[in-house]
Amino acid sequence: MTPEAGRRRPLDAGVRGVAIGLLWAGLALVTYWWAAGGGIGDLGGWESGLNSLGRLTGLLGSDLLLVQVLLMARLPVLERAFGQDRLIAVHRLTGFTSFNLVLAHLVLITWGYAAGDLTRFPSQLWELVIDYPAMLLALAGTACLVLTVVTSIRAARAKLRYESWHLLHLYGYLGVGLVLPHQLWTGQEFLTSTAATVYWWSLWAVALVAVLVWRLGLPLWRNARHRLRVTSVVPEDDDVVSVYLTGQDLGRMPALAGQFFGWRFLNRAGWTRANPYSLSAAPDGRSLRITVRGLGDGSTALREMRPGTPVLFEGPFGRLTDRARTRRKVALVGAGVGVAPLRALAEGLGYGPGEAVLLHRFARRPLFAAEFGALVRERGLHVVDLPGHRRSAGSWLGDGVPVDDLSALRHLVPDIAERDVYVCGPAPWAESVRRAASAAGVPADRVHVEEFRW
Amino acid sequence: MKRVLVWLVSTATAVVLLFGYRTSLSGPMTTATQPLAGSAGTSSGGANTVTGPAVDTRWGAVQVQITLDGGKITAVTVPRYPDGNRKDEQINARALPILVQETLQAQSADIDTVSGATVTSEGYVESLQAALDQAGR
Repeated sequence: MTPEAGRRRPLDAGVRGVAIGLLWAGLALVTYWWAAGGGIGDLGGWESGLNSLGRLTGLLGSDLLLVQVLLMARLPVLERAFGQDRLIAVHRLTGFTSFNLVLAHLVLITWGYAAGDLTRFPSQLWELVIDYPAMLLALAGTACLVLTVVTSIRAARAKLRYESWHLLHLYGYLGVGLVLPHQLWTGQEFLTSTAATVYWWSLWAVALVAVLVWRLGLPLWRNARHRLRVTSVVPEDDDVVSVYLTGQDLGRMPALAGQFFGWRFLNRAGWTRANPYSLSAAPDGRSLRITVRGLGDGSTALREMRPGTPVLFEGPFGRLTDRARTRRKVALVGAGVGVAPLRALAEGLGYGPGEAVLLHRFARRPLFAAEFGALVRERGLHVVDLPGHRRSAGSWLGDGVPVDDLSALRHLVPDIAERDVYVCGPAPWAESVRRAASAAGVPADRVHVEEFRW
Repeated sequence: MKRVLVWLVSTATAVVLLFGYRTSLSGPMTTATQPLAGSAGTSSGGANTVTGPAVDTRWGAVQVQITLDGGKITAVTVPRYPDGNRKDEQINARALPILVQETLQAQSADIDTVSGATVTSEGYVESLQAALDQAGR
């Protein structure tokens, strides 16, 4: 472990604590202002209670709406402390929660304005939308949020291409923006006190600036600086290719082994679609390599890509790196093309002979067999091949393993509890590795997982 | 690619149209802390002011004050109206200017109620009628 990584660990934990504290404080503050404005007293009456609850749900909903924009703004401090997969999980949770609150707000306020009379609900809704300031915009914003959320429900998401889903998801920004004017002009909760005004405008400003700087500005600047191009496309297996890239000034690209980027290859219509792929070699300051299985449309098209094709990128992202490491000894556990970032880690991490072990799951042929062979010879990497199809949905091992998941892990890596465990593979498989590692005595903060979905 | 452009253009169009709607850039409603007032023309020396009774409604009292000049209603103020909570404030901030305008146009209490503010409208008309009666009109 590098000394630097050791110092960053408490820092990352501190950032996580502060971030969660700020989230909580924001929600508490908003609730306090609601209560101070007589929100609790209003709960006594039927009609005033509906209005009061409607206000509270609206306030909490808009707070979380901005929080989940911030979570996805690629803020470096959050990316490093949480890792993008965890941020996405929290974003999903706050996203659905804020959406439910917004819907509750809409229903409760309309019902309250209709004096608690459900038969008047439709006409009241109509009137609110037609006559009240910026309410038509608010309705359109809500429609955008509905679109964003509905396409993110797992069943719908599974039916959509990643690329289409991602583009549709951008309507979330439009939705958040369109609901702002009604908060200012009809709700006017921003203006209840100077402190409230400062809080809400700061939250809006921070969300907007974060998106403009880190979501848009920084990637544009990095692309202008590095100007990545494809140097070659090399088949690794029947449906797996490696893409080698080069660019200017790559020594100043802050990429670590184990990280991933969002990639756009400007070879054809595909530039609108960013695909997340991990580096499959440690960055050496001169070139980058990714390795991709032909699953999505974009992946298949990579095979026909010509050298010289310009590439846009966003990143680097991910915490499956030296930064998360706490121990000298590591275990790398990968399945299929998920072994790509582990291949980069096996090259990029510092370790002595026997300190790093790779458990390599594959169905037919291992990826990077020759490269791992070199790492075995030169660095003392220990490689265990685990071939075969998965024996069951809940297991992380192939058929033909005679013992249960936990015993197998203990047998393969007897000192697993003393290691940092880096896992990359399909989500359900990675979860079964996590379970086995946890049962074998590895604390949760030493299991570092990067799931991939496509 | 082509589909993305179509989506982009349609979305931009929809947003522009949305902002063209009258409420979209209207700014906040004037939640008047001052009594709402409207007037038609300047009142000369012969003007007199008549205050109607405070009429209790479900949501609170409504009271209308009118200024008459030679039998013509030249100004209407509403010193009291339901403003106990933000919802009432908003509803009345919208409804009262309409009622005042209707009064100045109709020059009588024979005006339409404002939809969504029926309660306030009824209280307003009652107080206005009483004020007109008092003025001997």
